[in-house]
Amino acid sequence: MKIIYTDILVIGGGLAGLRTATGVKSRGHDVIVLSLVPPKRSHSAAAQGGMQASLANSFMGQGDNEDIHFEDTIKGSDWGADQKVVRMFVNTAPKAIRELTHWGVPWSRVKQGDHQAIINTKKVTITEQDNAHGLITARDFGGTKKWRTCYTSDGTGHSMLYAMDNKAHEQKIDVRERMEAVALIHENKRCYGAIVRNLMTGELSAFVAKATTIATGGYGRIYSVSTNAVICEGMGQAIALETGIATLGNMEAIQFHPTAIVPVGILTTEGCRGDGGVLRDVDGYRFMPDYEPQKKDLASRDVVSRRMIEHLRKGKGVSSRYGDHLWLDITLLGRKHIEKNLREVKEICESFLGIDPAKEWIPVRPTQHYSMGGIRTNYTGESQTLKGLYACGEAACWDIHGFNRLGGNSVSETVVSGMLAAEYIADFCDKAESSVDVNSNTIGSFLQQEKDKIEFLLNNENGEDAYELRQSMEQIMMDKVGIFRNGTELEHAVNELKALLLRSNNIEVKRSKSRAANPALVNAYRTQRMLKIALTAAYGALLRTESRGAHSREDYPERNDEEWLKRTIMSWPDPDSDVPVVSYEQLDIKSMELPPGFRGYGKDMTIQHPDSEIRREEIKKCLSNAREQGMDRFKVQAELMAYEDLLPEKYRGKNERLVEPLATRPSRKS
Amino acid sequence: MRHDREHKSVAAYLCGYISHMPARLDFLQSMTGLILALFIAAHLLFEASIIISKDAMYAVTRLFEGYYFFGESYPGIISFLAAAIFLLFILHAMLAIRKFPSSYRQYQLFMSHMQHIEHGDTRLWFYQAITGFMMFFLGSVHLYIMMTQSSDIGPYASADRIYSDWMWPLYLLLLICVILHAAIGLYRLALKWGIFEGARPKQRRKLLRKLMFITLFVYLGISLMSLGTYMVIGYQHSDRAGERFILSNEQPAEVQP
Amino acid sequence: MKIETNRRLKISILRFDPHVKGDKPRMETYEIEEAPGMTLFIALNDIRQHHDASLKFDFVCRAGICGSCAMIINGKPDLACRTLTKKLPGEITLAPLPVFELIGDLSVFTGNWMRGLNERLEAWIHEEESEFNFNLLEEPMEPELADEIYELDRCIECGCCVAGCGTIQMREEFVGAVGLNKIARYQLDPRDKRSDKDYYDLIGDEDGVFGCMTLLGCEDVCPKNLPLQSKIAYLRRKMLTIGMKDKSGCGC
Repeated sequence: MKIIYTDILVIGGGLAGLRTATGVKSRGHDVIVLSLVPPKRSHSAAAQGGMQASLANSFMGQGDNEDIHFEDTIKGSDWGADQKVVRMFVNTAPKAIRELTHWGVPWSRVKQGDHQAIINTKKVTITEQDNAHGLITARDFGGTKKWRTCYTSDGTGHSMLYAMDNKAHEQKIDVRERMEAVALIHENKRCYGAIVRNLMTGELSAFVAKATTIATGGYGRIYSVSTNAVICEGMGQAIALETGIATLGNMEAIQFHPTAIVPVGILTTEGCRGDGGVLRDVDGYRFMPDYEPQKKDLASRDVVSRRMIEHLRKGKGVSSRYGDHLWLDITLLGRKHIEKNLREVKEICESFLGIDPAKEWIPVRPTQHYSMGGIRTNYTGESQTLKGLYACGEAACWDIHGFNRLGGNSVSETVVSGMLAAEYIADFCDKAESSVDVNSNTIGSFLQQEKDKIEFLLNNENGEDAYELRQSMEQIMMDKVGIFRNGTELEHAVNELKALLLRSNNIEVKRSKSRAANPALVNAYRTQRMLKIALTAAYGALLRTESRGAHSREDYPERNDEEWLKRTIMSWPDPDSDVPVVSYEQLDIKSMELPPGFRGYGKDMTIQHPDSEIRREEIKKCLSNAREQGMDRFKVQAELMAYEDLLPEKYRGKNERLVEPLATRPSRKS
Repeated sequence: MRHDREHKSVAAYLCGYISHMPARLDFLQSMTGLILALFIAAHLLFEASIIISKDAMYAVTRLFEGYYFFGESYPGIISFLAAAIFLLFILHAMLAIRKFPSSYRQYQLFMSHMQHIEHGDTRLWFYQAITGFMMFFLGSVHLYIMMTQSSDIGPYASADRIYSDWMWPLYLLLLICVILHAAIGLYRLALKWGIFEGARPKQRRKLLRKLMFITLFVYLGISLMSLGTYMVIGYQHSDRAGERFILSNEQPAEVQP
Repeated sequence: MKIETNRRLKISILRFDPHVKGDKPRMETYEIEEAPGMTLFIALNDIRQHHDASLKFDFVCRAGICGSCAMIINGKPDLACRTLTKKLPGEITLAPLPVFELIGDLSVFTGNWMRGLNERLEAWIHEEESEFNFNLLEEPMEPELADEIYELDRCIECGCCVAGCGTIQMREEFVGAVGLNKIARYQLDPRDKRSDKDYYDLIGDEDGVFGCMTLLGCEDVCPKNLPLQSKIAYLRRKMLTIGMKDKSGCGC
């Protein structure tokens, strides 16, 4: 039995995982990172458009600060987010971006003087301030009041991930590539690491740790078309679910990105529209202003995606052999802009569509893009039910996104949640209670269990073909758990998925029996787990009889704060059961800084919770009181919803801006 | 681990970690190559004066023997020049040999790479390496003869050497080798150091490549023609091989046939 | 719309699994029907699903962004995911990248090689020891310089340049274009406080910039079109000035 001991085991080598690892390492703990692929190939690299942080350097970002970022994020989440956690997040994001700058991310910079931009299809001249010259600039993204999305051309995720991984090399962080965690080791509601399969040799070993962090990203690949990388299969969430103890939150909250290219589903960044691109229909007509006169093409992602589907249903789509689609027009931005700030988009259009986006329109359709749901944690990133298990980034439901994530908030979350989780994990590991007292028999039996599963898959006869099951699952999710959902279809989906889950117990790895590198075997055991994840999503969607954010029920079109201002929580305690156990976690309006209100899209169809009005009154009073006392915005905020004591001490400081210089700053050379 | 440099042998420590020689050797290789290539470019043109006329070639020969400076020919100058070039040649060869495959295994790896990857410039380097290798021998023979028999240069003397003394196969090979080697070498030199790259290096490279091929074929054409001319003269002169050329306006009238 | 008959593609793949005792490298050919818009990503998955479930290859982003799927496609290293089959002849030959450790079939272990390279070249920002305060405004940087750094930062470590490099085939210690590009990137970055002499320590020898024979395979196969030739030339000039002026070192 091969057992490897370490202080902290991080599963996943993307931005969140690496940031956690560097954080705990700086605090003097040993860490091992497991990654399916070389860390630099993680899906974080595919984030194109940018990272939100309220730096307020660029002209169009002036006046931005944590408060506005907070408000945008909460509204974007359709009030599903945890407001204290969002506060922690928006306060740390500027620090995260500055740290990354220090580590080598180039970022696109402000250039003083005039430059042209396209806003609402019109050429506009923007004049940047001299004192902002050379600072990090920002572009416009959907659902934000200010231009807040910082970027490096359209390779933001790439440049961040490279800087982060290089930092990990500097810190000599032990990264084990092509290693897959296939089960968590746990005893007495305490997690002690994972059983890990080497994808090259097939060897199974146990990695035992004081704390285990899952940072494996989303589960988009339960859909047949997704912008996600092929490794985004939800395995982190699945192994947490399979403990029977850890819980998943809001698994039905799945985001569809408006502009993925047809048919392959590769993303073209929201930056295309942020920089001035527009959506057009079969007649070349710009339709978004008809639906959303205010935010137009830059409404929140969930809204734009729904409007696009509505428009397609009106027969305004362009028909193609791959079904109907709409156009994304960035020709109006001009070749120079595209070749400088949207070059990945250009490369993608050239390679996959054979078109020149500076001359031709891009065929797009809303496509699965992001998983708001994930391993439910408390603000420290620790599972609420399984001690010693942490999760961060897209894998987690830490909950800053609620039911719809704003563009640019995901890479931001990966880094920020990694920074914060690292501190809490390090705090935990500093304490005596973190000591590993797990019976070696327990480890042995977990190891044996996984061995047996694999042997069964390889030796089973006349069993099911995993590829077939997987395809059926992907199709069910596409057809029945999509952008618009309804009770009948969801019910079908759940039943069909249950049947598939049952059949998956009898999978046989066909035509490829190697115990070492064996893609068919990998597909077999992952399909079993993916089916569980698909079920949590479909089942959660079926139960949630309201429309909130990206979860949109045709049979329940209103957002129902009265009954549904709560998180869906799921666990799977009985491995033989065909559905998860569901409970709900109520959101407390009375402690909210921003009580539920109208998001500002379409018609207000909210069924209000009585507490919302009460809280609004309270806040009004509190605000006028504060104004009388002449409090600054930080004090006011603390009055409304204190959160600062939740942050690790080192991250509590205020963020400097051009208009908010910090007193402690040594004189800045200009 | 191929990148592992932490485990050094005692020799590495004794040497100190950095050596400045690699930079200098690289530069020296390039410089000697450049000088030799420019020399060859001129040499082949002078040689080609035979295409114009025997007189022209004789005049060029006398120019290099110092006749027009001193009023008398000193073939020693040619010997000296040949020796200098020989030295450069040896130096260049020594430096360039560092880049050759140093074992059969390396040779095999390179060949298999070249066969599997469709890539023109890799192939060009291979031609350069092969021609370079051949010139170790061809070039040495030629240079040695020039050093030791520098007085035997002239329209007839050279033609006789080429035809009657059976030097033409060597010269034919040497010609092809040296032109290929020098033309490719100059092209590579420009890219290696980024000279002439301009604002758009990728486009500039295409232009340089075109120029390289033009130069190569023009030189091959001229040089083969001049070799052919020597062959014809050598053939016509074969019964009187060894007899020296005299300028047409300096020949005594009675000798005229 | 015109009805097109789809081509039958003959895809020959170099198969070998070093983990299977007695396995020998061999070419295996699969015939599949071409579909409109088919990429090698789709074709290979088709083969795995319908012909040979044991076929090993790597894809991650399948959008030409992550660099996982580099392989030799009809004699040229390139990213398989963004190679449309319609741009290839009906007979396609695929082989794994050379130099890197073979995992099996088309799958190679670029990760450990690249990490080794990064550690060898210390490919990270070397800062002066100073208190960094993330609450304060970031250091300004000229916008053009930031763009220039990003230009080189776009390398995706796919390994194509290594596969295209004749030098590295013979001398596996050579850092290759990927390594030299990294140095060029940090040399450009004012946040990295290393001097040219420090870089000379890393690449001022025949395993570094002076080992490059300017075959330009790297430049011609780089899927991100990085200015490798130009940057290697630049480094060569920079490193030469260091090598020429400094008198230290024993020169052996």
